[in-house]
Amino acid sequence: MSTSIAKKLLVHTYMLLFTMPIIGMIIWYFLAATFNGTTGQFTLQNFNFVKEPIEYAGVVLPAIWPIVLNTLVYSVLIVVIEIGIAVPAAYAFSRLDFKGKLAAMKFLFLMRSFPGITLIIATFFILVQMNLVNTYLGVILVAITGSLPGRVYIMKGFFDEVPWDLEWAAMVDGCSRFRALMKVLVPYVLPGIGAISVFSFLGAYGEWFLFKLFIFDDNMLTLAGYLSRLVTKENVILNYGLITAIGLFYTIPLVVFYIFTQKIFLKINMGGAKQV
Amino acid sequence: MEIPVSLAKKAYKKPLAKKMYPYFFIMPFALLVLVFFILPAIATIIMSFTDLNASMKINFVGFDNFKRIFTDYSMPQILWNTVLFAVVTLVFSLFFGLFISIATQYFLKGKLTAVIYRVLWLIPSIIPAVVYVTFWKYLFDPTGDGLINKVLLLFQPDGDPISWFTKIAMAIVIIATIVSTTSGGMILLSAAISSIPEDLYKAAKVDGASEKSVITKIILPSLKWPLMYITISDLIGFVSSYFFILLLTNGGPMRDTTTLSLYAYQQAFNLKYYGYGAALSLLVVLISLILTLWLLRLFDFNEMIKPSRIED
Repeated sequence: MSTSIAKKLLVHTYMLLFTMPIIGMIIWYFLAATFNGTTGQFTLQNFNFVKEPIEYAGVVLPAIWPIVLNTLVYSVLIVVIEIGIAVPAAYAFSRLDFKGKLAAMKFLFLMRSFPGITLIIATFFILVQMNLVNTYLGVILVAITGSLPGRVYIMKGFFDEVPWDLEWAAMVDGCSRFRALMKVLVPYVLPGIGAISVFSFLGAYGEWFLFKLFIFDDNMLTLAGYLSRLVTKENVILNYGLITAIGLFYTIPLVVFYIFTQKIFLKINMGGAKQV
Repeated sequence: MEIPVSLAKKAYKKPLAKKMYPYFFIMPFALLVLVFFILPAIATIIMSFTDLNASMKINFVGFDNFKRIFTDYSMPQILWNTVLFAVVTLVFSLFFGLFISIATQYFLKGKLTAVIYRVLWLIPSIIPAVVYVTFWKYLFDPTGDGLINKVLLLFQPDGDPISWFTKIAMAIVIIATIVSTTSGGMILLSAAISSIPEDLYKAAKVDGASEKSVITKIILPSLKWPLMYITISDLIGFVSSYFFILLLTNGGPMRDTTTLSLYAYQQAFNLKYYGYGAALSLLVVLISLILTLWLLRLFDFNEMIKPSRIED
């Protein structure tokens, strides 16, 4: 028995050692945001950005609440559009036969592991041609094209799991294919739709790169884009207190959202592991 | 349930509306892919043969950009950075993913501590990248404000703060990436280990197997496929993505942390050499394509696509 305890201790020692930086990181975020760096006093001064526009490195930043609104609008739009496009496409890939399906599936797979980001230079020019630079529409279109192949793959996995008998039964009873999809299949794959909604939302909430590239108007930024401007402005961050405070303001809702939805992640990975 | 042969063989011509039906479902997706994936891909190829730059005049220059890649004096360093970044990050994140999943799913299986460790490891990947990098910037801050310098100054009050980002920039970038990417592999590996039946362990124990042989004979063989999958998909990810590097060091100091894809980005968006940037992107695409084709061969692809089982 004593050897087993020694073994457990050893495992715990290593795990604690490896996990230390992460624990330290979490503690630091809270300390840096709530303590004054020079006096060491507890303060909520860093959180003043929720009340008024603040100044950082000599630049007055836009007020935070319109940016929060932007973030929510952008994220919800992304979720709605991705579901609206990914679910029918996944259904077609899973259940329907059509010419070029095999090639399309291969292409989809290729696209998913393909660095779409390497095409960003050309995408930029296409957006310029379409007059979509500095618009949400442009960012949304590019963002969803990048993430759709993954969503379609996950959704296809969920559709594949639905027993064919259900559909046969519905069609024998006189449903059209479309009605069978809406009445029988969609309720069955709701967990999958939930999963891709969560993924889409998290992806949209964290998107900063496309905003850095395609949006020049500070008032149109989302929270991630806003923070990325602060982080990349200087090589050395001047005011950790302010940045960690905004960072916490940005991250805590995300963590709460994550805690409520993390069961969905487990479901995906089970399905995902089998699929690939 | 098979459709009777006589029925299936009956000559039946699908009306056009039904033939078009599937396309109607994939149309929006196909359109998006066409405009924002295929079109940019073609445009990248065309651009790579031009000298498109800030002046916005397009001149076709043939293979000049590709010749330039071979003569670019910073290219050896950039390729080396790319390989170093991708391989070192991959090896360590696989190692940690493996270690944590074995520790939490075998040694500490079902314990509360196992859940806590896994959740803690998930946190760096949940935290948005822009927030996550501030911690590393703080840790290695070159002034006396950074944590490591603060600690060093405690021991050596008259010493100078060390400029970590000029000394070990690549190491910082790699460590930050490892900590945040480990959890992806960890989740897949944990799922695979948890699906091993408990009886196998018990049988091995009864036969007097050591922990080492349980790990090498039972656990590791069951992880073959997830490990292969993680290896290749992470490798493609590390070769092509540069977000952390862009946020942490912006490729600097000099070109010490510039990888191939970041270099393409910088050439295009910082220096406005769009043509050259496009040519560099094509090189990244080529590398990823080779890795992906390898992936497709490893996982028998046609297996995954099942034909429709309803005739209508």
